[in-house]
Amino acid sequence: MSELRFESVSVHYGHRRTGHLAVDDVSLTVPSGKVVGLVGESGSGKSTLASTAVGLVDATSGTISLDGVDVRRLRRRDRGLQMVFQDPYSSLDPRMSIGESIAEAMPRGTDRRAEVARLLELVHLDPDRATALPARLSGGQRQRVALARALAGRPEVVIADEITSALDVSVQGAVLNLVRDLQRRLGLSMLFISHDLAVVRYVSDRIAVMRGGRIVEEGEADQVLARPRHDYTRELLEAY
Amino acid sequence: MRRWLAVARTPVGAASAVLLLLLAGLALFAPLLWGEQAGAIDTDALQQGSSAAHPLGTDALGRDILHRVLVATRLTIGLALLATVVGVGTGVVLGALPAVLPRWAGRVVTAAVNIAVAFPGLLLALFFAVVFGTGTTGAVLAIAFALAPSFARLTQTLTASVSGRSYIAAARVSGVGRFRVLVRHVLPNVAEPLVINATLAAGSALTAFAGLSFLGIGVQAPSYDWGRLLGEGLNRIYVSPAPALGPAVAVVVAGLAFNLFGEAAAAVLGHRPPPVRRGRPAPAPSTVDDVADEGVLTVRNLRVSFPGPDGWVTPVRGVSFAVREAEVVGVVGESGSGKSLTALAVSRLVEHPGVVTADRLEFLGKPVEGTPDRELGTSLAMVFQDPMTSFNPTRRIGSQLAEVSEQHQGMSRKDAWQRAADRLESVRVPGQRAKQYPHEFSGGMRQRAMIAMGLMGDPRLVIADEPTTALDVTVQREVLRLLGRIRDERSTAVLLISHDISVVQRTCDRVLVMYAGRIVEELPTAELFTAARHPYTTALLAAVPTLETDRDQPLAVIPGRPPEPAEVVAGCPFAPRCPLADDRCRAEEPVLTAVEAGHRVSCWRVEEQQRSALAESAGSRGGTT
Repeated sequence: MSELRFESVSVHYGHRRTGHLAVDDVSLTVPSGKVVGLVGESGSGKSTLASTAVGLVDATSGTISLDGVDVRRLRRRDRGLQMVFQDPYSSLDPRMSIGESIAEAMPRGTDRRAEVARLLELVHLDPDRATALPARLSGGQRQRVALARALAGRPEVVIADEITSALDVSVQGAVLNLVRDLQRRLGLSMLFISHDLAVVRYVSDRIAVMRGGRIVEEGEADQVLARPRHDYTRELLEAY
Repeated sequence: MRRWLAVARTPVGAASAVLLLLLAGLALFAPLLWGEQAGAIDTDALQQGSSAAHPLGTDALGRDILHRVLVATRLTIGLALLATVVGVGTGVVLGALPAVLPRWAGRVVTAAVNIAVAFPGLLLALFFAVVFGTGTTGAVLAIAFALAPSFARLTQTLTASVSGRSYIAAARVSGVGRFRVLVRHVLPNVAEPLVINATLAAGSALTAFAGLSFLGIGVQAPSYDWGRLLGEGLNRIYVSPAPALGPAVAVVVAGLAFNLFGEAAAAVLGHRPPPVRRGRPAPAPSTVDDVADEGVLTVRNLRVSFPGPDGWVTPVRGVSFAVREAEVVGVVGESGSGKSLTALAVSRLVEHPGVVTADRLEFLGKPVEGTPDRELGTSLAMVFQDPMTSFNPTRRIGSQLAEVSEQHQGMSRKDAWQRAADRLESVRVPGQRAKQYPHEFSGGMRQRAMIAMGLMGDPRLVIADEPTTALDVTVQREVLRLLGRIRDERSTAVLLISHDISVVQRTCDRVLVMYAGRIVEELPTAELFTAARHPYTTALLAAVPTLETDRDQPLAVIPGRPPEPAEVVAGCPFAPRCPLADDRCRAEEPVLTAVEAGHRVSCWRVEEQQRSALAESAGSRGGTT
């Protein structure tokens, strides 16, 4: 069980004065074993925030902590923090079999073959396909492999960044069901990012709404949807 | 490996591969076979020209030049390859270093490479030749280091493009070290272009080496390569040309072999389109029994085919529909369903080698095929998905709009500009913004400007292909409303293509649902949620999460995946995923049939139900009377 906490995180791209403030003083907590949905339009800073947590982007100020420990002090492999990316077509190395891709993230000393089989089974893929190259898989299947790879690192917190937005509707449902099922079974804490409010609503316990680099509203999912307090949230809800 | 064999199957690839094999054979065996003759001194035949005994003549010591050219293959090719390997190796290491080094050190390496790239290769080679001293080692190093900078640059560029992919990010997040990421993920994915370029580089290394030897700073006596033989022969070229021409031809042929093979490999592995097959796709019988009635746009049995590796592939297979005046018709379907190709075919934008056929494809009562561009340009407007790329970034929005009227309606520049400002106003973009460039517009505003561009003429039909997909939900609404308003004010017909049922539902009067290149259902939007009959339509509707979806239940899913255009087989294409499918569905493709006025479905099971329902009602009516 782990709690992911952003405390007054800001991310600045470019020069301090002329650059672009992508994330502006964001504080957000993903409670242990819960799913926090983060909605907002493109350019609102959702993905930047996610990249900061996993160390792909450096925060200009503020801290990100996992159970009270600053993530920058933890080695990547020991962080227990994994991310699933948006584009199923670029998130797997085309030259590596899916089994190798999954095994790469495993801690040392694991029985890789057995673990790969277990994970593939977990995401409802045939373990015999471990030797297949990603080109042989459909978008939905690739996204399952990406999930399996994230789980291979035995994470306690998973960040899902627009994982269904590149998928067709008929495939999206299966991936969402899987995400929800895994989250509950493994007790993962999850930051689920999407521009689609209906999708976020379906998987999340809490919802945070981001706009222009700031979180404008955050609360229990039902409450945010039933009694939105910020104008922008209302506008989003009206669009449905 | 199989792809490299494909290279050898192209004419140029095959010819150059044969030449390369020949050269390799010579390099291996010539010294063994003719080594003795090449070194045999014959004082009776000094400096002879071409003769039967010595086709290329003899040198100053009476040695046979033909044999010497053949034997020199090994040294020439060997040294060229050695120089290439050293050069490419150095280049790749230099190019990959910035990815592993700390940032400041990486910058230093990059800057050094950038400076080195600025010098011409041969100049660098000469410079290094002087530094390393004359002789074989010096020449190899000189040519290698002259090659290195361009390879370093190439590696850097390729590495940078691969580094942006999310599998690299995923590996880094998993805690894979920089060096391992480089070796396991980056280098394998940039290897192919590097190998191709190395083949090309081998060709130029060969000629450069010949050049250095010719100048006397390469291979030194008593060793000899083609360059030295050329140098010796050239002294008396006016007396007897053969001794110089022999090695010259060898250099040219070998250089060409390497270069052509590299070019052929680049063509095949770089996914340039394969040569188009001759002939046309087989015409298909019309599978539509009802008549799509007249309208602004009438489409009957439309098919779009592309040549594939195993014959023609037909992603749009017999689509029939009509769009009437002042009507908004939506086309929904998943990726690969053929919806966008249908739109492109209607507006005559399917590019070669695609082939469009139709029993009828008529716009305003005239075949689209024969309509002049000018007429189509003003009466049919097209709005594309990506507002970022549909405007030219270097020209003002206003002048891009005005161009339409200048070109198609022969307006003066001033009038056209006036009209552009007016049309922008009509899509709620302030007229003075016509002076601005596309990057000064937001995404939604750009999409509205795109629609304004369509309104420059007096369009009877607007085809919008995923016009809101790249936009945020809050902006989506205004674009959709705008399309609705245009219809209301100008009675323009709209064909709206989208993967998003909710977009179509909000905007359209009628919906066409496409699956695997076919229309599977056509119905009024108002009935979409109440009376949809096709199993695919109902499954699709159920699969979309809404704000009312029960969060305690799993989402409805459609098992399996849609067939690729090349995989379409007999029977209903949805049958493998359909819970209702029976033997007939798997054997025979259903036909789009009217079940009610304005409602057509292509499904055997629906047809059966319909028939039994009719029989029942007829029966019950019969019972009461």
